[in-house]
Amino acid sequence: MPRPNDSAQRIDDLLASVTGDLMGEFPQMSPDNTIRVERILLELVRPDPVQPRRVLPESIHLRFHANHVTPTQALRELVQIVQIAARQRGRPFASLLELLPNSDDEREDELAVSLSPEETLLRDLVNLAITIRDDGQVNPLTVVDASQGVTRLYRIETGERRYWATWLLRDFIPGYSGDGMIPCIIIPANWSSVFRQAKENTARSGLTAVALARQAALLLLTVHGYEIPAYAVSNDFYRQALELDLRGKREHTDAVLSAMGGIQRGQFSHIKLLLKLSDEALELADRHAIEEGKLRYVVNVAPEYHAEIVRQIIDFNLSAKQVKEICEGDGLHEQKSADDDISPSAVKVAKVTQTISLTTPQELARAMMRQEGDASIARARLQAMRKLFSEAERYLSDE
Amino acid sequence: MTRAFVFTNHKGGVGKSTSATNIALGMVSLLRHSKAPNHRVLIVDTDSQGHATLVTTGRRDFGPQDSLYAALMAEREQAAQTLLGCIVASQWDADLHVAPASPLLEGAERELMGVAGAPYRLADALSRIANQYAAIVIDTRPSFSLLTEMALLAATDAIVPVEPRYLETVGLTSVIQKINDIRDGWRHPTLRVSGLLVTKMNGRIRGHNHLLAQLKAHPLLGPLLLGVIPANEAVSYAHRNHQSLFSYDPRASASKAYAQVVASLVRYLAKEGV
Repeated sequence: MPRPNDSAQRIDDLLASVTGDLMGEFPQMSPDNTIRVERILLELVRPDPVQPRRVLPESIHLRFHANHVTPTQALRELVQIVQIAARQRGRPFASLLELLPNSDDEREDELAVSLSPEETLLRDLVNLAITIRDDGQVNPLTVVDASQGVTRLYRIETGERRYWATWLLRDFIPGYSGDGMIPCIIIPANWSSVFRQAKENTARSGLTAVALARQAALLLLTVHGYEIPAYAVSNDFYRQALELDLRGKREHTDAVLSAMGGIQRGQFSHIKLLLKLSDEALELADRHAIEEGKLRYVVNVAPEYHAEIVRQIIDFNLSAKQVKEICEGDGLHEQKSADDDISPSAVKVAKVTQTISLTTPQELARAMMRQEGDASIARARLQAMRKLFSEAERYLSDE
Repeated sequence: MTRAFVFTNHKGGVGKSTSATNIALGMVSLLRHSKAPNHRVLIVDTDSQGHATLVTTGRRDFGPQDSLYAALMAEREQAAQTLLGCIVASQWDADLHVAPASPLLEGAERELMGVAGAPYRLADALSRIANQYAAIVIDTRPSFSLLTEMALLAATDAIVPVEPRYLETVGLTSVIQKINDIRDGWRHPTLRVSGLLVTKMNGRIRGHNHLLAQLKAHPLLGPLLLGVIPANEAVSYAHRNHQSLFSYDPRASASKAYAQVVASLVRYLAKEGV
């Protein structure tokens, strides 16, 4: 049983641990509104939901940005996916550190070839996490100050992989001794730019064709004045760019092409057209980093075949020439839609209906007389027109 | 700027709710007595047990639509309006308002766990209605949970009730560390420990006297000692009758001690221009 004096000593020691820096006796944070570098709590930082370069698989990405899972839970889901894939390939692992290449392993080259995209992703993240653990994070993230009112929030402009690697290090890898903070270059909200983000993306290796297509879409949507949302979006959001082009936006053309890595206008168009791929095909092509040169043929076939062809490209490592041959074969092209059967005269009549307010009955009567030269024939034409319009209207009602 | 006092200690049973409710009522009375232009005080009960809500409103049936839960789960744009819609007048005093707790707050933590900016949800809503009150008093649950983080982020001043015993003092240092983490990590530089409140003090126990003496002598904690509330049976009787300590037994030693604490806090508010 401790003596009363021991207890008193313990209390004295405890109170001695309360020091000035704990009581807030340090300079307050700078209210500076320019670019600055600060260490920020990981929880205050969020990846950009519309960043074209995806780190996590699509399903986890969407669940994370819909706030259905925390960063730790998102990574746990990724680890579980990789564990299943690894088990199926006959190399189960218990610890993430086992994913790292082992210099004693003679099969290293063989394994590197057969890793699934998720295994490669996780292995790269673990590798990055170990580098951060051992050498510290030298390169800060670039974040945009997205704080609203008293709510502090920073959106990542570049450095999402380092963000996920730090979470992985904090929650899944032994030996983390940090304080949950991450160094960031903070950019004021009004300095945020999709052009700078695009340049950063294209300047780095590993940007997939699908990510490039999303990036092209974001740039096009931006120059056409579309509002870029602050939440995760489906592929249909990016597909709006299929209706847009750089014509009429000459003042932005150079900036857009430069942000895309200095590509030609024709190549930009090819990249943009990849958004025609079905959702499943887009995800597969993104995960497996399939080149635009192969995918450009796939967009020409009916959407229901997209995923299957992409799967064949992955499974058989098809060349662009082989993909072209498959896609240009019979039976894969889109069926002629009902729209293509419309006669030119029907299109003309439909156009006339758009300008009907520009004429008067008297003018129409005079024009009919001039055209037909006979009042009875003109009346017969109008009656036929009336009958045609009535039936078209009935058809539309039934539709 | 309206000061928001959070009563926090992750040790249970140290008198957080008792202190928060009685001090809030005392502030209303003293501000009214001193003819302050605004003497309304809001209690925000973030403890899912809802003890502060129960004693001040006599009710424990607040649900998903009319409790703090609704404001925390609302969209950012509607949160302040939802919070205003939940606030009820206390049965102790019409100028003492209560944002009532509900057992659903327990689930709110799970629901909000992965949500970006979740820890700021209370701060954001309160910041938009704070000017309607002379002061805000926030009662917390006895844990370092998301709701406690929300309460600390919504506060300007932390008051730490502590029993004068060894384990409770361990809690005190943890709370100070936590507040330091919040200030530094969550970028809330204006939050500070503004007061220590020694509760359930028994002058006949040597350990209590020793700890109190040590606290008073501490160069940093000593000046923060806001008051010493003696252990007093009147507290539990007042709770049982859903009454404030001041109305149940104004002459009780605990009532007198709380009155002194209230006077210090009102002087502090006066300095801040309330």
